[in-house]
Amino acid sequence: MIAALTYVVVGLSVVLCGAAVVYAVRDRLIDDLLLGIAGLLELALLVVLVGGLVGSGHVTDSAERATFIAYLVSLPVIPPGTAFLAIKEKSRWAMGSIAVGAFAVGVMSARLAQIWMSYD
Amino acid sequence: MTDPVLRDRRALGGPGVLLVVVYGVLALAATGRSVLQISEYFDRAPLAYVLSALAAVVYLLATWCLARGGRWVRVGIVACAVELAGVLLVGLASYLDPSAFPDKTVWSHFGQGYGFVPLVLPVLGLLWFRRVERGARADAAVHEQDVAPTSD
Repeated sequence: MIAALTYVVVGLSVVLCGAAVVYAVRDRLIDDLLLGIAGLLELALLVVLVGGLVGSGHVTDSAERATFIAYLVSLPVIPPGTAFLAIKEKSRWAMGSIAVGAFAVGVMSARLAQIWMSYD
Repeated sequence: MTDPVLRDRRALGGPGVLLVVVYGVLALAATGRSVLQISEYFDRAPLAYVLSALAAVVYLLATWCLARGGRWVRVGIVACAVELAGVLLVGLASYLDPSAFPDKTVWSHFGQGYGFVPLVLPVLGLLWFRRVERGARADAAVHEQDVAPTSD
């Protein structure tokens, strides 16, 4: 369940990262479509957060569990944070903020799934 | 805020926004991990965990300085310098005495656990702050010329 959800998150973050790159190339600022994708990603991250916290006992090693929970809690902060910066920044670099943030979400979620599945 | 020279010396804007994001993510990851390490199993490697908490605080500070600019630029330069020294010293120490660093922390093994981002980031931060400082100095020179005839 958690593993499947993190795949959804990784997929959405790839879409968001790609969309931000396209926007940057076409020199477009943030709009409803991009915010919508970021919102979907955020929603998925919140679901993973709740599911992950409830099932955190699944990761039995305390050090790995610490990393797991730290990533769970950190992840939902990234999309709103980068969106805020992107709205304030009125240049092509705003999309860089979204793209880098989405990339980080993808990498951290993949790591999350990796930890989870090593205890299956 | 009322001083135009200070106001113009903004770190955020243009490529600086990318540094804010990367620093922010690293600060988040380091802080979260550090809080759990210290609260859950501090006794395992006290030195490594204290250093990783210190790293987390410095990353938070640097993120703030990058985002705010202005008078925070100088603080940011110090923060980046501390990071660079930290990643080099702790990186070296973790190779010389691996038993003191059982878990990967931000600075151990030159930031290997974080794709060496902690090694590259302070250098980029310092370069960016230097650019911001230079821009501010050029602005200040122009500003002084502008007000010179009327002041004094």
